[in-house]
Amino acid sequence: MSKLEKWNDKIWNFFASVDLAIALFIVISVAASIGTVIPQQPEPEATIRFFAKFFTIDTAHKLYEIVSLFDLNNVYHSWWFTFLLFMFALNLIVFSLDRLPHLLKSFKTPPQSIPNQVLEKMPIKKELKIKDGSAVLDKVIEILKKQGFRTHSFQTNEGFQLLCKKWSKTRLAVYLTHLSILIILTGALIGTFFGFRGFMNIVEGTSADFVISDQRKSIPLGFQVACDKFEVEYYENSAVPKAYRSYIRIIENGQPVKFNGKETVIIEVNQPFSYKGITFYQASYGFQPTENAEFRFTFIDKNGKETQLKARFEEKFKIPGTSVIASVEDFSPALGIDEQGRLFNMTTEMINPAVLVVFEDGEKKTEQWILKRIPETWDTPYGKLKFNELWGAHFTGLQVRKDPGVPLIYVGSILMCIGLFICLFLRPITYFVTIDKDKVTFYCPSSKGKFVSEKQLDEIINKIKGEKA
Amino acid sequence: MSSFQIISIAGLLYILAMPLYIVYVLTKNKNLGYVSTVTLSAGALIHIFGFIQRFKEMYEINHSFMRSIPITNLYESLVFFALCIVIGYLFIEWKYKNKSFGVFVSALAGITIGLTDVLGITKEVQPLVPALKSNWLLAHVTLSFIAYAAFAISFITGVLHIIVTADSKKSFKYIFSTAILALMFFVFLSLIIDMATASNPKTVKIFHSTLANPSIVISIISWLFLFALIFVFWKWGNVLSKLLQALKIDENLLEDITYKAIAFGFPIFTIGGLVFGAIWADQAWGRYWGWDPKETWSLITWFVYAFYLHAKFLRGWTGAKLSFIAVVGFIVTIFTYLGVNLFLSGLHSYGSM
Repeated sequence: MSKLEKWNDKIWNFFASVDLAIALFIVISVAASIGTVIPQQPEPEATIRFFAKFFTIDTAHKLYEIVSLFDLNNVYHSWWFTFLLFMFALNLIVFSLDRLPHLLKSFKTPPQSIPNQVLEKMPIKKELKIKDGSAVLDKVIEILKKQGFRTHSFQTNEGFQLLCKKWSKTRLAVYLTHLSILIILTGALIGTFFGFRGFMNIVEGTSADFVISDQRKSIPLGFQVACDKFEVEYYENSAVPKAYRSYIRIIENGQPVKFNGKETVIIEVNQPFSYKGITFYQASYGFQPTENAEFRFTFIDKNGKETQLKARFEEKFKIPGTSVIASVEDFSPALGIDEQGRLFNMTTEMINPAVLVVFEDGEKKTEQWILKRIPETWDTPYGKLKFNELWGAHFTGLQVRKDPGVPLIYVGSILMCIGLFICLFLRPITYFVTIDKDKVTFYCPSSKGKFVSEKQLDEIINKIKGEKA
Repeated sequence: MSSFQIISIAGLLYILAMPLYIVYVLTKNKNLGYVSTVTLSAGALIHIFGFIQRFKEMYEINHSFMRSIPITNLYESLVFFALCIVIGYLFIEWKYKNKSFGVFVSALAGITIGLTDVLGITKEVQPLVPALKSNWLLAHVTLSFIAYAAFAISFITGVLHIIVTADSKKSFKYIFSTAILALMFFVFLSLIIDMATASNPKTVKIFHSTLANPSIVISIISWLFLFALIFVFWKWGNVLSKLLQALKIDENLLEDITYKAIAFGFPIFTIGGLVFGAIWADQAWGRYWGWDPKETWSLITWFVYAFYLHAKFLRGWTGAKLSFIAVVGFIVTIFTYLGVNLFLSGLHSYGSM
């Protein structure tokens, strides 16, 4: 063998080894855990602040140098972590190429009988005394077949030898599992190169046609996304949010796009929406009052007639059927009443939005707080004024993603589940049985799952005894 | 009666089963063994009843079968975890006709439920936050916890296996396993003190009252106590070892159960924890994998058990060496389950107190 071939072999064996796999399990685990402890933020301040909790500020600065040298504040996207994952993939490929042909070959080679000395060395051995060896053979084969074994019988000097196998093809499942990991890694690679992830904030009543990517770049979508409305729904009598909801329209080439005959689509948490391979997810929202924000009311007069009213901040509007002029003079997103009966603002979340409405009836001027979620406050001397919403003051935060690798991820995941279940629940079982004149002996070549193997052999032996009796 | 009262009764039965199992183990009286199994099973049945009751209570709020599985906060997850361990153990007891580690399982399940009482974790049925409103909730969370319970069983048998096979007090195996037990006991004590002394139950910081106490004196005393505890466990751990040896617990049986529990838990964890989790994350957050601390630690857990399986099947590892990995695996599992929520911040913060 030439030197080159020798080296070739060495390298091949290195990448085909289980030791490398085990080493990679440990190294990748340690690397990944570092990333959960050190803040994964590009700004040096975050890292220094983190270390300053444990060390002096000087040491923290020095540690930051090390962190930035090895990209420890961006572990999962660093060159060395990518390299580790690449090694992992290479290990899987070479390992499979190294072993799979042998396995496939072993399925094809006809089984052969094994000398008794080898059998005697096997870790599990069970004996059953019988009277007439030749008569038992068929019964043993029949019982084993009933248990799902495939049997091969050989004539030997001492009598008969049986090779029984069950689920031997399940050895292939390991390779299916390994293949599935490669498929998942490929899917991830495709996603990194051909996809993007980003964010868009759209204020109610406006639209946008680009996404800010996670790398702070602007990516044009090729169509407009308009947000007609955003709402937060709360559980009754509680400040626990029940649902976040955006009402979205897609406008392409100036024309609204229809989905199932409707223009408006609703995006909620856990209910994303996809268009042209780009998926939009409800991710966040915020309060951002704009000039266009308007207060929307339903006025119910004394005869029960309903009128929709809307007005901007401090804009005067007429109460229908009366000479009263009203205007919104104050707003609170979450008005609460404290123990002394005073009003106060709880949070900036719109848990219970309220407006202070001033009514001018000629000379008479009255003012009243109207709370969205408390119907008693809707009653005014002129009729019921129900406060519906402050529209145009929210923006919806949408997570936007395009990832052509996702189908591969799904395929890989399914294959992995199938592979793992087969490999761990349907383990191949092999027994050797020798039948002499006066005894049947069972051998099991593997001590794995010894307890179960022994139990199963006892069961088979009992059956043979039973058949005899 | 509310679900949590029913579940507390189940917890009492588990704690009652523990001394019964001890006395059985010491006397080997068959009737007593029968009584202890019946007590544990009765606890499990009441527990299941309580679980169904809570399911109904959740259903009244959420009006969706798929979203009413009561595993949505720390209390419910601990309760479900305990239930899985007990059912898993009863299955093993029936399958292997061996009651030798029932005492550890009943203790673990009883303490877990007792803990929820002592710590004052909120037991109210809470409405779901929007992030948890998904049909994946049922599959992802249930399967994850079944896998955690399987890993817990492998941990118990793994530790027993190491103790049984340890030959001297100076052997690494013995020091390691007793130190782990002492450490876990200390963390448990510390957690109770942390909870009891925290001014606000929402901002409990683990070890804040002990090792990381602002007062240096208390901190030093805590460290000394920890080392003393390790010493005590090391010194008297062989009592347990001798007891187990006297019982003639077959080490092969322990090794076999350790493997079986992992072989069962690993694919369940892969499909329920990682794959379903990834699909859900893909639908809710717009990415199937984002290196969130919970995700990362799940992957680490997965790697540790992958290590176990590869070491066993391809390197032919056996004995205590292999059980070490099972023990380490469960420590990582606990960290994935509780530690990530306590120490690291991330998207999976539903499990907070």
